[in-house]
Amino acid sequence: MEMNEETSGKRKMQCSDENKCFELLESILDGDLKDSGKEVLKEKLAKCQPCFEHYHLEQAIRDVLKTKCTKQAVPTELADCIRQKIQDIK
Amino acid sequence: MKSGEFFPIPSYKLAQSLLLVLMSEVQRRKYSQEEKNAIFDGEFMPHIDSMYNFAYRLTFDEDDAKDLVQDTYLKAYRFINSFEQGTNAKAWLFRILKNSFINEYRKKSKQPAKVDYQEVETYYNSDDVHYQSTTDLRAESVKDMLGDEISNALNSLAVDFRTVIILCDLEGFTYEEMAKILDIPIGTVRSRLHRARNLLKEKLQGYAQDMGYNTDEEEE
Repeated sequence: MEMNEETSGKRKMQCSDENKCFELLESILDGDLKDSGKEVLKEKLAKCQPCFEHYHLEQAIRDVLKTKCTKQAVPTELADCIRQKIQDIK
Repeated sequence: MKSGEFFPIPSYKLAQSLLLVLMSEVQRRKYSQEEKNAIFDGEFMPHIDSMYNFAYRLTFDEDDAKDLVQDTYLKAYRFINSFEQGTNAKAWLFRILKNSFINEYRKKSKQPAKVDYQEVETYYNSDDVHYQSTTDLRAESVKDMLGDEISNALNSLAVDFRTVIILCDLEGFTYEEMAKILDIPIGTVRSRLHRARNLLKEKLQGYAQDMGYNTDEEEE
């Protein structure tokens, strides 16, 4: 994120436990770890370049999936068709 | 002398089975016609958009998607008494749709069954994932991608991987809800999602390279 860009030089370039960190970051992004995750997250992003990059890549992917994936318009007759079929079996 | 020696079924078990009979009776008659209509219109139908999009991303065919959604709603109506009003209707409907897809659509499908390496891998190696950086793809290039590129990358994934991404990122289900929809443990949800996103990143990296984005690490 912007606020961290200028301090990127201070982050360590190697993550000592990528496996554990990345799993944690992904859980936080998916909303599986809520309050307990936030503090850890702040610290990781401030101190570790691989964690920082991984987090932002994962976040970007989630964002584009959520906002850009083309949506199919539901065929207009589908809802009526379903209601009709339900009427028939009532 | 214990009661069990006189009766083949201990009395507490008798009471238990009576209770079960009563409960299933209640279950069967749970909702009046008006209540059923209200649940159907108020809690089920509002999800038709998400349901259709899910069905379309599973089948890639408009007619199949329509059939699948229609089947799902008919089943939902028939089994409406096993739905607890006020609980997560969307997750309940998605579970029915996914089961219908597996049990009926996949069987009906004319495509020959093929062994999918990715799927095999998921089942044999399900919770044991090593989280690591697998790509040089950069967040900036991802942000610049077009909707069609994202969609195509998603659609190219094997169905089990595609499904977890749809449920999590497009529909916003939690790990717990996904575990229920897919009938798999939460640990498997987590690892399958991780794998799915790594595969997606590989596809996106291919696009990024085609577009000439710099995917290499920048100098410090």
